[in-house]
Amino acid sequence: MTSKKPGKKNTAKNSLDLINIRWRKIKNKFIITNDFGYYLSLNQKEFNDLIYKNKVSEKLKEELISKGFIKTHMDFDDLFSRWKNSNSYLFWGPSLHILVTTLRCNHKCVYCQSQAVGISNDKTDMPTSIAKKSVDIAFYSTAPVLTFEFQGGEPLYNWETVSKAIKYIREKEKNSDKKINISIVSNFSVMDEKKAKFLMENEVSICTSLDGPEKLHNKNRIYTQANSYRETIKWLKYFNSMHDNQTNLSYRIFKPSALTTISCDSLKYHKEIIDEFVKNDLNTIFLRPLSPIGFAKKMWNKIGYDSKSFLKFYKDSLNYILSLNKKGIDIKEKTAIMLLNKILNAKDSGFVDLRCPCGAGIGQVAYNHNGDIYTCDEGRMVGWEGEDIFKIGTVKDSYKKIINSLTTRTCAITSNLENQFTCSRCAYRPYCGVCPVINYESQNDIWGNNLSSERCKIFMGIFDIIFELMEDPKNMEIFNSWVEDKKEITV
Amino acid sequence: MKYETFEDLYSYEALNIAKNIIKDGESVVITKLKNKNIINIDCENSEKIFKELMNEALNQQCRIDLSKKNFKVSQMIITKALISALGEEPKNKKRGRK
Repeated sequence: MTSKKPGKKNTAKNSLDLINIRWRKIKNKFIITNDFGYYLSLNQKEFNDLIYKNKVSEKLKEELISKGFIKTHMDFDDLFSRWKNSNSYLFWGPSLHILVTTLRCNHKCVYCQSQAVGISNDKTDMPTSIAKKSVDIAFYSTAPVLTFEFQGGEPLYNWETVSKAIKYIREKEKNSDKKINISIVSNFSVMDEKKAKFLMENEVSICTSLDGPEKLHNKNRIYTQANSYRETIKWLKYFNSMHDNQTNLSYRIFKPSALTTISCDSLKYHKEIIDEFVKNDLNTIFLRPLSPIGFAKKMWNKIGYDSKSFLKFYKDSLNYILSLNKKGIDIKEKTAIMLLNKILNAKDSGFVDLRCPCGAGIGQVAYNHNGDIYTCDEGRMVGWEGEDIFKIGTVKDSYKKIINSLTTRTCAITSNLENQFTCSRCAYRPYCGVCPVINYESQNDIWGNNLSSERCKIFMGIFDIIFELMEDPKNMEIFNSWVEDKKEITV
Repeated sequence: MKYETFEDLYSYEALNIAKNIIKDGESVVITKLKNKNIINIDCENSEKIFKELMNEALNQQCRIDLSKKNFKVSQMIITKALISALGEEPKNKKRGRK
């Protein structure tokens, strides 16, 4: 046996035995994160002391210990609980079930991903029997909460199937211990009072698209038969008013929500878009970048943009939203809420694209009108283009066969960030995720190469913007208010 | 044009994946020998294609090496996700042992 020199032993005792940390420099600050989703923002001196000298102030040492950065002082109960919270999706099956009830649509949006067809083409209507079989499969999921999302095309064109499927879901719910959410994504062009009443009575949450002021909205969302913007606003007001005035009802009426897709025409109008949401009493805006999938991929030269342009838009938008919040106006941004929930509360936001592994097949399932089942709606769109590589079965298959399909397993493996060489060491690894479908569509490879991925640049940039804004205590106060006691957001 | 690469630098797997990703990859034929891989590119701009192939092969090789390094944690995450979705408990080989 060899004995250690006393001096040497003391040094070892005082040094910090750091776990594997990931870091990123944002302006003059260093963000360090660990696998448990804890983060710390250090200045240059603190970072140098930690990494090179392995010695920090007592205050910082305490913080490093409390957040699980020091191997010798780990509170495993707390750390595991935090890890489990932020990765709760690993403990159950698909919770989001998308039913594409028809591809018929009367809009011809410039960025449409859903491969819509003309309104006379009822061959793409989902028969009720397929919708019921899809619902049956969804109820086999091990998830305690199921969200059914009716999509299209314009789903209201196949009202018979939509209404029957909703009734069927509510019937099945009675004999199940699962919590059920139902939502419908509609452009409202064929909405009427009868349909609206049915949806409200069955507690269906309503989501539409609002791309901004009238001129911009109508430019993006082409509708030759009427004014798309006016139809949207008319029904938004209707559902808002029904929500605000509900009293003594046996059912809950949800506040309607709207999605915004950012085309290259939208980039100049961040203030106008946000003001439009405020004006229409919508307190959450979801600033979604375009995905190069489907029709948008073909039109990319006309409507697309690079990550730099989107990030400038996003930063300006978030700063404007924060300035409105400081004036007491209630408006939030959904991407920021989802990321802040992960960063501040270690809470999975339900956004299946930002998971490790991604939700393809294990977090969400998309049921096509003809009974084919895909990993996700984006996977379905790739299938429509002729490459059925993200198909995981049909409604004739059993739930287990679908989950156990080679495609589901392949997507899980390829979207595991531990297998991605840029992601595995990225500071945002605990909060982020990759999308095999977007990788395949943009890089011809389901693994993808994040060094050149525009999607990666966009999320990396959004994280940078949020962490930078979090440095200001006033912003932090607003961010905290956005994620306090909020219900899970499912998109 | 004929090129040679060493298996311990760029594996046959990495080269083949790269071949399927790059544009004009159909003109590439890869043959595995003992410690080497022979790459035959039959077209006019073979040098350009070879460079693209090796660039992509480097990406794939890095990923393959990382997958081996992170094999345990990676498998744990995927197994947990898939088994939870299936609703089955993992079979414990040591069940019954004290």
